[in-house]
Amino acid sequence: MLNILSVFKEYVVLALCIVGSLGLMSMKDTRQMREIRSAAVVVMGSVQDAVGVVPNVFTLQREVRVLRERNVTLANEVNLLREAKLENIRLRRLLGLRDKAAFSFVAANVVGKNQQPMRTTITLDVGDRDGVKPSMAVVTDEGLVGKVVATARGYAVAQILFHKDVRVSAQIERERVDGIVYWDGDERVLRMKNVPRSANIKIGDVVVTSPYSSIFPSGIRIGVVSNVIIEQGALFHSIEVTPSADMTRLEEVFVITHVPDSSRIVLEQRVK
Amino acid sequence: MRRNFSAVVLSLLLVLLQTTIVNVLTLGYAVPDLLILWIVVLAIRRGQVVATLYGFGIGVFLDLISGSDGMLGLSALSKSLAGFVAGYFYHENRIELTLSSVRLVVVVGSAALLHNAVYFLIFLRGSDVIWWRAVSEHGVPSTLYTTVLSVIPMAISRRKYQ
Repeated sequence: MLNILSVFKEYVVLALCIVGSLGLMSMKDTRQMREIRSAAVVVMGSVQDAVGVVPNVFTLQREVRVLRERNVTLANEVNLLREAKLENIRLRRLLGLRDKAAFSFVAANVVGKNQQPMRTTITLDVGDRDGVKPSMAVVTDEGLVGKVVATARGYAVAQILFHKDVRVSAQIERERVDGIVYWDGDERVLRMKNVPRSANIKIGDVVVTSPYSSIFPSGIRIGVVSNVIIEQGALFHSIEVTPSADMTRLEEVFVITHVPDSSRIVLEQRVK
Repeated sequence: MRRNFSAVVLSLLLVLLQTTIVNVLTLGYAVPDLLILWIVVLAIRRGQVVATLYGFGIGVFLDLISGSDGMLGLSALSKSLAGFVAGYFYHENRIELTLSSVRLVVVVGSAALLHNAVYFLIFLRGSDVIWWRAVSEHGVPSTLYTTVLSVIPMAISRRKYQ
């Protein structure tokens, strides 16, 4: 028996590895598994954090230039927005609308980017101790980046929008029609589906997160419509959305510490 | 023992490089895979069993740090298969020759292509994304990039052994 095993040891090892891999794939997300993953994220996050300064050197100069330009633009916008805010407060009071919940943000540095094919995740230097939990939205000042999928004490892993498994319930801001934003592997473009043909969608329309989303808070900018493809006989638009946040240059992000209302999710699941 | 310790340390170092510095070298969809390169070098130097086991171990670690997306084991499977196939090019008396010739580039290319094909086959099951499109748009550019990078260890080996 041992003789046979030693003759075919390569195949035996391969078979064990395949069985091991398939076993891991079929495993549920247990507490033990989360702890092991958490430990791996902490180890890797700490090391990535320590060497994280290296990529920054390449981008620092460009970033300073971009920030200076943006500073001028934003200073101008602040004045305009101040006026708009006062007007908004007055109108809200008049209409008796309930103020939208104010979200709190946790600033985070991207300390690692795990670029596996179609499965890019980023490692953030914030975690459980900062109040970050799985399913929280990750944004930049430009818009939605993705969502947190795993956390450890001081680190979190987030899937970005360019990830096969990310689906966002979205809304065309101008038309108030809803759809689902997802990524199908196209370079730098997201897709929006389930938007009826009757909706008047134009290139340049802003796409934001929908109030129907049970994960993301509503109103977060996702991107702008960059193409509307009309297919013969189709009931829905095929829409291309260019994300507002630049996924290739993620260095500082914010985690919105908004936890979805669990009673809403339970209720929605109950009636499904 | 010491040999394995060095290989494990180097593997961890390469995972670190893959998740930090390599992001700067990304060209569009093409992401060079230093770990496939390393697994192939291990296969040529130490054979099929070692390469398969290291492929599995490196893959599991990569999957662990990728967050919970239900795909724990995917990289482990594709990388151990790549290591196994690359191991067919192991010949005890021709290690230097293989490492310092174009054969290394061919083996890296084949292993990387197999890795990406298997990876996408499992990763995309049940999704709207078409397998061949994902392989041609993501897998092939990354395979080519990794293959081109294999010229570096080939040149180093050539200098060392000839």
